[in-house]
Amino acid sequence: MTNLHIRWGGVCIVAIVLIVLTYDHYRDNLASLAPQQVRQEAPKGDIRVLGMVQGGTLETRGAGEATFALLGEHASLPVHYEGPPPDNLRELKILVLIGTWNVGAQVFEARDIGIVPNYGFIAGAYLLGLLPLALLLFAMTRRVHFLYDEIKASKLYEEE
Amino acid sequence: MTIHRVIRKVQRFEGWFGGSAVLCLIAGLYLGLIGSPPDYYQGEVVRIMYIHVPLAHTALLAYIVLTIGSLWYLWKRDPIVDNMCQAVAGLSAVFTALALGTGMIWGKPTWDTWWTWDARLTSFTVLLLILIGYLMLRTFVDDPEKEARYGAILAIVGFVDLPIIHFSVEWWRTLHQPQSISMRGVSISSGLLVPLLFMSVGMSLLFSYMLMVRTQLLYLDRLLHAKKGRLLSQFHLSKSDS
Repeated sequence: MTNLHIRWGGVCIVAIVLIVLTYDHYRDNLASLAPQQVRQEAPKGDIRVLGMVQGGTLETRGAGEATFALLGEHASLPVHYEGPPPDNLRELKILVLIGTWNVGAQVFEARDIGIVPNYGFIAGAYLLGLLPLALLLFAMTRRVHFLYDEIKASKLYEEE
Repeated sequence: MTIHRVIRKVQRFEGWFGGSAVLCLIAGLYLGLIGSPPDYYQGEVVRIMYIHVPLAHTALLAYIVLTIGSLWYLWKRDPIVDNMCQAVAGLSAVFTALALGTGMIWGKPTWDTWWTWDARLTSFTVLLLILIGYLMLRTFVDDPEKEARYGAILAIVGFVDLPIIHFSVEWWRTLHQPQSISMRGVSISSGLLVPLLFMSVGMSLLFSYMLMVRTQLLYLDRLLHAKKGRLLSQFHLSKSDS
């Protein structure tokens, strides 16, 4: 195994560790549930729910309190929101809510409202930005090694 | 043998540049993808900034190196500098294309379009076209001395585009946001700034490392061609003698 392979093996291992860490972070902190999943699984603790604010259901009380229904593909959730005044809260808008599912009252208690994250765009940008550079660098270093060997073999290269 | 000494000197620092680039990029990627908060307005998609902005900065840095190298070549006619200029032009084109590509990906969720003829985007595309023209010129001119001279002149003339890129967001009304880091101060929070700095430094170091490798590559390529040419002429001479 040459130095080149050891170095690039190290880079690959680091890249894999970073990808695994990012995926774990995504799964634990960023991935969201659908309203029907919340109804079926009744998860405990803080969760993120993705859905659309159902038309005609949004009622606001003051700057930081609102109730509405969050619509998924097969079910909807009644939501009670209390928190900072949300700029994005509008009817028919797709949102991510962060909060807890109150099983007894069958209401989702939201404390934060965010816009839909575009993870596909993020992953695409990082792949496009880093992968070609890594491949180009690998190809160049391999070619340099090859040329050194070739020149040494042709006896042109002489040590000073 | 001066050329050999320069290459050996460059090789001595090469590992340091590569190693520090990897460390900075790992820290930047970790902070950018996991450690930093989402933006109040853009949400999670702001994380594209940590790859797009460093690529764009490095593309501009690469062109500045190309211009300085070209001026140096016209003054000293040093073939090693010309070799470096050719290497940096190829890398600059790659970084420029990647900055444009990642910018297009960022544009879709924020502006709802992949492309618009905005002053910043257009002037950056002009930079890519200048670099493609430079590389084509270096491929199609046969005389190596003329090839290097014309290339240097084109690179120096093309430098005009850099201030246009830099000031485009101030001179014209553009969709592209104004600079977050300028002489007037920093307009983004430290939570977003730290990963951006790590990625920018890492990308610049990676560019330096790639430049060293590519300069060596072009030099060795020429050396091998020269050797093969010499062997071929020796073969023809010995054949004609016999």
